[in-house]
Amino acid sequence: MELRAEIQIKSMIKALTDVVLPAVDPINQLAVEQTRLVIGMLSLMSKQLPIQFQFDRDELQRLLGFAGTLLVDKAEEPGYAGALRQLAEAHRAGAQVLERCLVDPATLLQVVHELRAATSDLVAAVPATNDPALIERVESTVMELSREQLLRDRSLLLPQGWELDPDAIPAIETLLAPLLGAR
Amino acid sequence: MEIRNKDLPSPEWIRSLRERYPIERRVDYLLTRKMERRGGPGYSPLPLTTLVDGVNALLRASLNGANFAVTEARWLSGGASKLQMAFTLDWDRPGVGRERTPLVLRMEPAESIVSTDRLREFQLIKAFEGKVPVPPVFWCDPEGEYLPYPALIYGFAEGNTKPKDSGSGVSGTGIRLSPDLRVKLGRQFVDHLATIHRHDPRDPTLTAFDVPEPGTQSALWGVNWWDRVWEEDGGEEIPLLRVASNWLRRNLPVLDTPSIIHSDYRLGNFLFTEHDAKITAILDWELGQIGDRHQDLAWTTSRTFSGVDDDGTFLVCGMMPERQFFDLYEEATGYTVNAKTVHWYKIYNNFWLASLLIGTGYRVARNGKTHQDVLVTWLMGVGYVALDQMRTQIEEGV
Repeated sequence: MELRAEIQIKSMIKALTDVVLPAVDPINQLAVEQTRLVIGMLSLMSKQLPIQFQFDRDELQRLLGFAGTLLVDKAEEPGYAGALRQLAEAHRAGAQVLERCLVDPATLLQVVHELRAATSDLVAAVPATNDPALIERVESTVMELSREQLLRDRSLLLPQGWELDPDAIPAIETLLAPLLGAR
Repeated sequence: MEIRNKDLPSPEWIRSLRERYPIERRVDYLLTRKMERRGGPGYSPLPLTTLVDGVNALLRASLNGANFAVTEARWLSGGASKLQMAFTLDWDRPGVGRERTPLVLRMEPAESIVSTDRLREFQLIKAFEGKVPVPPVFWCDPEGEYLPYPALIYGFAEGNTKPKDSGSGVSGTGIRLSPDLRVKLGRQFVDHLATIHRHDPRDPTLTAFDVPEPGTQSALWGVNWWDRVWEEDGGEEIPLLRVASNWLRRNLPVLDTPSIIHSDYRLGNFLFTEHDAKITAILDWELGQIGDRHQDLAWTTSRTFSGVDDDGTFLVCGMMPERQFFDLYEEATGYTVNAKTVHWYKIYNNFWLASLLIGTGYRVARNGKTHQDVLVTWLMGVGYVALDQMRTQIEEGV
């Protein structure tokens, strides 16, 4: 999916900066200020989004470290002992999640791009084999892959309103249910 | 797997693409110019005074020292690909006398969602003046000699693209016509398309066009054109586009008679006056070329621009059932409609539409090259609908 947040935010900032802000009535100070704030907020988002995952993972890692330090203490007082048990449980759950979060989203996207490019190169190269059966197999495999992926692409873009029959497209939450359920 | 910096293309890479994808000479020139300029700055807002200065320079060169004045300059919206400025020209109009003529400057941004030629647009509209309704076109600056970027100056034509009581989506899709308007506009719609397709493709005024030989050259130029655009502009690879390219190349249709092709002939791209139901101007000639009439027929009958009758029948551009459209067309032109060739061009049209929207749309917005990157980005979403339509059409077979 090429229509990602990075390019959406960039184009929104340009529209607001180049077109909307200069056209806002300077006497309407509230409108001028809020337009500037929206531009600022979008700029902040464009900075945060690419590193948000690493930021959160870094925090989790340090929280686990600090929690580990606190968990060495023993407590007699029932309230504090209960709180320590809760912290120990949260530490165990957090450590398990951290183990599953070692790959960056950027790396995930990079390998998606590499696989797409390698598949495209294969499809582009197959006609030169002059082997009809091989050509058919390669192309039909890509057609099947595309059918599944395009359904998800179209579902993700449903709010744009391009579909002639939007009810025929399953919600993206339904299509991604196995992954969303595993969160 | 080669990694290219498409934002800063090397001369060697540009040369290799030109050799790999032979296309019409003028299209080759435009794509090469686009690539050579890509490393330059993005689009920055231009003050109206810059455009007025450019118009004044163009008119001084075109009107041979005549007395004129450009006034009432203002921005216009509309169109995903070009900047538009309305203004009034006070001048001695040949054959009319002193006149205050309302005009529109239509200028390219730093890099457009579609690289087309103002000279070709100008020549086509001039060629059809008096033959089909076209907007008046006055002057052309094809290389941006006087204006910051290549530009055309148009006059205004009367009418609207939709009835007063109809809504519409982006780029004029989703327009609804009353049964009465369907009948009255429908016949003109077919007749004007017939006139365009019957026009002599060897018209000597059309110097910016190549005429394809009968055979597969026209279709091959088309596939090469959009394969090259995808190579130049596309970001994330889409293997399905490569399958489509293979399929199109294996099944190239044979051109019997070259025709002038409008390439975007549909509801939303012509003006009409509602009181007398008359088409007053056919718009948006920028992708016009000389090629296979089936390209227009496939585009015009696309479901994307269709409407639906009360009984659920799909109507070509909201006007008439497809069978009736083809029958009227055959009657008006004397040409036959080959269903297989229409099918090939339906796949081809989705192929270039997806390449342009997802590939070029991404590239120009990424590099901040237009005056409305936000619209270009928004339109990328249609590309996925076109891709899936194309996939279904390929599955349907030859």
